[in-house]
Amino acid sequence: MSQQNSDPTIYDSLMFVSLGALIVGITFWIMTLNNYGWSGG
Amino acid sequence: MNNVVTKTLIVLQLVFSLCFMCFAGAVYTFQNGWRAKAEEYKKSADQFSRSLTDTQNARTEEAAKAVADIKKQQERAELAEAQVGQLQIDLKQAQTSLANAEQQRDKFQADLLVAQDEAKARITETNLSRAEIKRLRDQLNDGIAQRRSLEDQNLDRQGKIDESVDREQVLLKEVTRLRDMIRAKGFDPNEIYVGPVPAAIEKVNGEVLKSQKNASRSQELVEISIGQDDNIVEKMRLIVYRDNKYICDIEITDVMPDKAVGRVLEETRNGSIERGDHVTTKL
Repeated sequence: MSQQNSDPTIYDSLMFVSLGALIVGITFWIMTLNNYGWSGG
Repeated sequence: MNNVVTKTLIVLQLVFSLCFMCFAGAVYTFQNGWRAKAEEYKKSADQFSRSLTDTQNARTEEAAKAVADIKKQQERAELAEAQVGQLQIDLKQAQTSLANAEQQRDKFQADLLVAQDEAKARITETNLSRAEIKRLRDQLNDGIAQRRSLEDQNLDRQGKIDESVDREQVLLKEVTRLRDMIRAKGFDPNEIYVGPVPAAIEKVNGEVLKSQKNASRSQELVEISIGQDDNIVEKMRLIVYRDNKYICDIEITDVMPDKAVGRVLEETRNGSIERGDHVTTKL
């Protein structure tokens, strides 16, 4: 059994940033839909 | 290999997540309030549509009203034309009547001139008649005055007649008394008298002009204002008096036409003679 490397890499940071960006995007999307009354048309 | 795919996917995930975040942010940023604007625009469009509809309805109503007005005005125009025609007919009749009236006016004016001439002639005639009436009225007044004068004279003469009748009665009584006296004296009153008859003495009044005594102052002579023209003769006796007082008798010695001279009978003297005393043949 090989030992797992547990140190965070740059890709973990990128994953964390992308997750943050996704959360921010979803927040803007929700706020936009709120402005339109949750109606897409 | 697996590691490369994982890394690639992680990178893609990062890229897409960033793109999603940017797109969502952009949409939220630039399209915020589009709904309000859209509703506002929609409301404006609805309001404009309603105003357009109202405007169209109003125009339709105005058009209908205008058509009705045009029809009404056409009817009024036709009525006015009919009235104008009637007025033209009336005007012709009025002109005809005016011509007739002018003709009658000329006729009346001619009659008026004739009537004025006749009135002038009547006025002249009236003035002449007034003058004639005035003259006749003056004659009437003169006649009335003359009639009153004659009535006065008549009354005076009637009074004299009454007085004469009374005197006649007195004289008849006196004649009767004298006849009785003559009969008492033994004479016949019906016997015819033969001889001169003294003239009847008429009553004549005069006045003393002058009195003067003679040189011996034994006689007084008096000049009086009556003479031969008043039937005064010599030897006639006259009476001298002043007011109601008897003065004396005089006997005429000289007679002239308008005066005479008399001698005072001293036995009858009752006072002095003055100028202006009255003289009479009998009282």
